[in-house]
Amino acid sequence: MRHVYFDNAATTYPKPPSVAEAVRTAVEKYGGNPGRGGHFYSMNASAAVYKVREQAAEFFGAEPENVAFTLNCTHSLNLAIKGLVKPGDKIVISSMEHNSVARPAYALSKIGVSARVAKIGGTDEETVENFRRLLSPEVRLAVCSAASNVTGRANPIDKIAEICRENGICFIVDGAQACGILPISLRDGMNFICTAGHKGLYGPTGTGLLISDGKFTLDTVIEGGTGATSSELSQTGFMPERLESGTLNTVGILGLGAGISYVKSMGTEKLFRHESGLCDILIDGIKGEQGVKIYRKGEKFVPIVSFNIDGIPAPKLSSALSDSGYALRGGLHCSLLAHRTLGALPDGTVRFSPSAFSSEKDVAGLVNNLKKICKTGL
Amino acid sequence: MTYTLINVSSVTYAMKSKNILNNSGYYCEIEREERNKRSGCGYAIRIKDDPAVICGILERNGITTGERRTAERGNRR
Repeated sequence: MRHVYFDNAATTYPKPPSVAEAVRTAVEKYGGNPGRGGHFYSMNASAAVYKVREQAAEFFGAEPENVAFTLNCTHSLNLAIKGLVKPGDKIVISSMEHNSVARPAYALSKIGVSARVAKIGGTDEETVENFRRLLSPEVRLAVCSAASNVTGRANPIDKIAEICRENGICFIVDGAQACGILPISLRDGMNFICTAGHKGLYGPTGTGLLISDGKFTLDTVIEGGTGATSSELSQTGFMPERLESGTLNTVGILGLGAGISYVKSMGTEKLFRHESGLCDILIDGIKGEQGVKIYRKGEKFVPIVSFNIDGIPAPKLSSALSDSGYALRGGLHCSLLAHRTLGALPDGTVRFSPSAFSSEKDVAGLVNNLKKICKTGL
Repeated sequence: MTYTLINVSSVTYAMKSKNILNNSGYYCEIEREERNKRSGCGYAIRIKDDPAVICGILERNGITTGERRTAERGNRR
């Protein structure tokens, strides 16, 4: 049986051949520990890692030293959120946040940090207004995803950044589902962009980025060897080493560099158009079918479509699709808040997320499959 | 030949310094400073041009420079 992958919001697959090649080259040629020595091997690895740092910085409108390599977007978000708050602070998050934001917020409630939830409104204007209402002086930071990992809805992060700036509040953007597909940049006014390297940037799993505008210094969650200031027991004070304790993932980082190059060569606009076109094919193909519910309300979307078919729990439907060769994710997608907001608990939704490598033909095949299920059930 | 070593805080800043100087027409190399007196270890850029000029360029680009010292080729430490 032929398998078709439509779970690119979880991680993109396949990766561009250039990414595989970069990973291979990293293993074969960049074996030294970057930033940990003055010999040829270490310096070679350091130079290669720095080149990717520069690439990421250029891509997101940052300075290279303000780009920290992390394990994934969740790691970045934890470093940013926990690095900023103190007991007694308040934070604001959106009603559609992933558990990578909701769970740190919940965990922080145990040390006296309380979270306010800004509802994602029917329009962008409503969303901005909902954030504005909650931004009182005791709010330390606000977090909003650039796009929902469930519905794909893109949020007005530039406008939210503006009201945060007016109120002197740090604004963190979860870019996991938008980076590489929308032109996300610090120029939009946020203070931190947290993102995965292995999704829309087409890098290997185990890569993430924390990008700062340099205006806020983060307390550290992890301390250790940084290759700098080794005579002091206190953690290195400057970026990016402050947030990069321990040996870097050179192999993943070099793969991520190739991924970013791929996205740049394709252009985010072209990728957006291609993948959004595939989403339209799916939506047009199933929206009139009996019992289909598509979760799309808003003004702009990244290429993600979540849906349900009446009477079939999402995990069961995704399992049936998998048996037919279509890899879609079913369930809560690590987003309790979002599904609660959508009224899609307890079973969640089935999520379709294409990539640059997805084809119209495969989407048509999925549509036929879903139509059949709508008519005959499972 | 005599060189000047200028300490910078990390390998990241060393790499950034090198790029800035190369783009400004100055040649430099990066060296690991295992025995940096102040902070234990770090990186330095090795230059043969006027250190005041070099430091000026780096400072203008937001790079804080540290200790400077001269060294001879083949006997850098």
